[in-house]
Amino acid sequence: MRLLVPILVTALGLQAQVPRLTEVQERRLGNGTRVLLVQRRELSAFHATLVFRGGRAEEPTALAGATDLLAQVLYGATWPEDVEPGKAKLELDTLLKQEEGLLEAVRLERQRQRRDAAASQLPALEASLATLQGRLKSHLSASPLADLYTSRGGRQAAEATADALVASTELPLEAFDFWCRTEAQRLRTLQLSRFSGARAALNTVLQRRGTQGLALLRGAALPGHPYGRDLADHLSALEALRWSDLRSYAHRALSPDRLTLILIGGLALEQALPVLERSFGALPASLDSEEALLPEIPADLGDRRVQVALGGEARLLTGWRIPARSHRDHLPLRLAAQLLGGGNTSRLQTRLVRQRLLAREVTLQMDLPGSHLPGLLAVDLKPAEGHSLAELENALQNEILRLQQEPIPQEEWARALTMLEADYLRMLDDPASLAKGLGRAWAEGGDWRLLELDVQRLRALAPEVVQAAARAWLKPSHRTTALLEPSSIDGLDPLEAETAKVLSALAANRIADLAQREHLVKEGLRQLRMLSPEERRRTLNLLAAQLGPEKR
Amino acid sequence: MRVLLPILLVSLALQAQPRVQPFVLPNGLRVFHLEDHEHPLVRARLQLDLAPADTPAGLEGLSALALRMFQASASVEGKPDDFDQLLEGSGIQLSREATPTGLAWQVVARSRDQDRALGLLGENLLRTVFDPATLWRQAAACWRDQEPLGASPQVRLRHALAVAPGERPTQASLSAINLEDLIAFRSRVFRPERAVLVLHGDLGLEQAKRLVLLNLGSWVGPVLPATKAAARPPAAPGAPVRIPTSGPGLTLQAVAPPPPEQAPEILALLDLLLPGDPLLPPVRVTLEGCGLVATLEPGPETAAPQALATLHGHLAGLAQRGFTQLELDRARGAWLARRSLDSLHPEALLAAALAEAQGHGAMPGPMKALTLETLNAGLRSWLDPKRLRTGAAGPPEALAPLAPQDPAAK
Repeated sequence: MRLLVPILVTALGLQAQVPRLTEVQERRLGNGTRVLLVQRRELSAFHATLVFRGGRAEEPTALAGATDLLAQVLYGATWPEDVEPGKAKLELDTLLKQEEGLLEAVRLERQRQRRDAAASQLPALEASLATLQGRLKSHLSASPLADLYTSRGGRQAAEATADALVASTELPLEAFDFWCRTEAQRLRTLQLSRFSGARAALNTVLQRRGTQGLALLRGAALPGHPYGRDLADHLSALEALRWSDLRSYAHRALSPDRLTLILIGGLALEQALPVLERSFGALPASLDSEEALLPEIPADLGDRRVQVALGGEARLLTGWRIPARSHRDHLPLRLAAQLLGGGNTSRLQTRLVRQRLLAREVTLQMDLPGSHLPGLLAVDLKPAEGHSLAELENALQNEILRLQQEPIPQEEWARALTMLEADYLRMLDDPASLAKGLGRAWAEGGDWRLLELDVQRLRALAPEVVQAAARAWLKPSHRTTALLEPSSIDGLDPLEAETAKVLSALAANRIADLAQREHLVKEGLRQLRMLSPEERRRTLNLLAAQLGPEKR
Repeated sequence: MRVLLPILLVSLALQAQPRVQPFVLPNGLRVFHLEDHEHPLVRARLQLDLAPADTPAGLEGLSALALRMFQASASVEGKPDDFDQLLEGSGIQLSREATPTGLAWQVVARSRDQDRALGLLGENLLRTVFDPATLWRQAAACWRDQEPLGASPQVRLRHALAVAPGERPTQASLSAINLEDLIAFRSRVFRPERAVLVLHGDLGLEQAKRLVLLNLGSWVGPVLPATKAAARPPAAPGAPVRIPTSGPGLTLQAVAPPPPEQAPEILALLDLLLPGDPLLPPVRVTLEGCGLVATLEPGPETAAPQALATLHGHLAGLAQRGFTQLELDRARGAWLARRSLDSLHPEALLAAALAEAQGHGAMPGPMKALTLETLNAGLRSWLDPKRLRTGAAGPPEALAPLAPQDPAAK
């Protein structure tokens, strides 16, 4: 009894301190679709989020970019021809198939032309493609207000993440039935009528974006793992991706058993459920519900370093391989991340930016790029004028050691907890954020209840547990460091540019397929970044020696 | 009947949204209060409008630097770290924002911390003492904000075009700002009669009045000498901004801030009608904080001047064509329906109340009365080529033809 009283008091205290998640009602439709509904009577509109678990991490390499394309083509807008096909569907399908054939012919002809410029059929093929696309265009809605949601006052957005495809819509309450019908029809039809434009746009974005610091860090820290993949390295696969490939992939990846539907607004479950059952519930259940087998990567991969000049500003990027969200150490690490980099009073901000003036900016990111699988806890530091990346590296390591070894002051501990709880409360207040939080908890941790449970469990954590997790995971053998040095205006590291040339020339002798060749060169460059500049220079000399004198 | 039902539903739904209750403090501060007890949270947004004359010529960037100084300096009683510890210790979120037309403070707090939140807002606004030791560092940070080297060339281009040519901060203008300039700016701009405060959330009207009076009631702007501020001459559009990049692609952009006299209803409708208009491709148009942004990413075979002409041509074509009555009616219907979506976003409710308070908010009455002629005249005025700020990001050799011609070379 003596023991029970303190436990009861603590539990009651916890309940009083932690704000409760608005009541979430959960149901399963006949075909396996999950429905989570949060009723907010005062709202005159509703927010709906569809979460398809899987995401970029589950794309086969040959279909790299498929989730991003689906986010844009399927959920970027709601055109009548995609969801109310009617009689014109057959003709539209025929045109899209013809376009697919011509796009592929143009792609292959461009490849052939790079090897042999003579007697190209490219102009003729491009002319045919332009004519066909002109015909196709006449089937597509032109006015922005032809969008079925925009014309009803709605808004929609979609996002491809490492662990899910997330599509959100907001509409006035009276459009709920219409939304259900439209969304079910969208999934049934999978028309993807604007596929070629979206693919070209994504290609342009990736080409113009160039190599990014965090992508570089992911690639070096998680080699060969889907979380380490940079889409910009798979442009050839994206160019070869066809309309019918994407449709087939969508049939598998967007099946009802992979879908959770989150609704927040002035909707009552008893009214919404019959409509949902008639629309979403009528979608055919997936016959093949096998879980994708993803490669595992040991966290203890060794201390890895990347040195590269990307142009722009000098930055020190450090990432530690941390466990997935379902792991017991994930939550303590979240609190460790808050102590290190959450807010203006965090340790890195206070000591490195304000007190020692070593850094002028610090950003900490947990679960890069996702947390369904083991990901990264990443710290991005920009040095203050007159300070080197090496100084920052030392200072960061000191802070990590302090966190692991020195007792955490009570005031700092309480502040970190308060900030996380206040973040949680702000999230509850905003339907879009709440839907996102619920969706992430389900797609990453396997249970939407984690959203609330995590906040409750945070209060029960002891500082020693956080320190033990920091010791177990934020250690050198889990670490990858990327030193990004600024360079001249052209933004290119001369050594890397030279290496790329030599690798391309070597690959040209051995590999005919341009896509494979490009991929090999990029992968080679990525591996070489792990070496010191001297070692890279020596490797370059060895590689260059393999080329004939005429090619050097 | 079919038409009436949705309108009736929308108006019923809008009635469910919190009602705006305005009041004015004796010092002239206008306050708009929206009571909403759904969650134990309180939000406050304090907005100070800026006029071009607030920034003397040669001191461009003064407002952004002043805002940074509020963040980096302490109040009479303590250090900046103490202030942040008080904020974060209570889970209060305080953010500051500088735009070409104003400065804003935004606070979000748990309702049990509302006294402290409003107290800290008042302390930051009224009792911050600018620390001269941080001035140089903050000026450098302002310059980095203006020229974000780490950002993509497209983002840097957008950044450069967001501000009118004569008002863009430069390293020289930021370095020229001294403590006296900042204090003078503060005296000119930080006055209760120039400010609007919007409160939203879990606090009643009487409580709101008490809190605002307690924390901002003593705010009085110093007496200013009766000098007439020198008006800044309107800057000529000038040569296109050029951002050199290492990649091969060229990006062109044109930014047009909304004309100052433009009715908010026209802006709201063009927001629905412009992006995605079929006359625009390959030009993409979006409406952002800085105004209308038109982007063109031409293929490698197109030279920059030619691409710039294409960009201008598409915008001119759209201005000339205008919209039809059917498009106006559809956009009007969509706008009316979209108003209910504000209830999903607490920040949008705050922004709508603020816009309404400042006379920038679109209202159903004028929206219904808007004619097609007025809409198309508004479109033409917005897309007037004289108002477009243009620029390009791309390889230096591709940008060279856009450089201003040397008159001596002619």
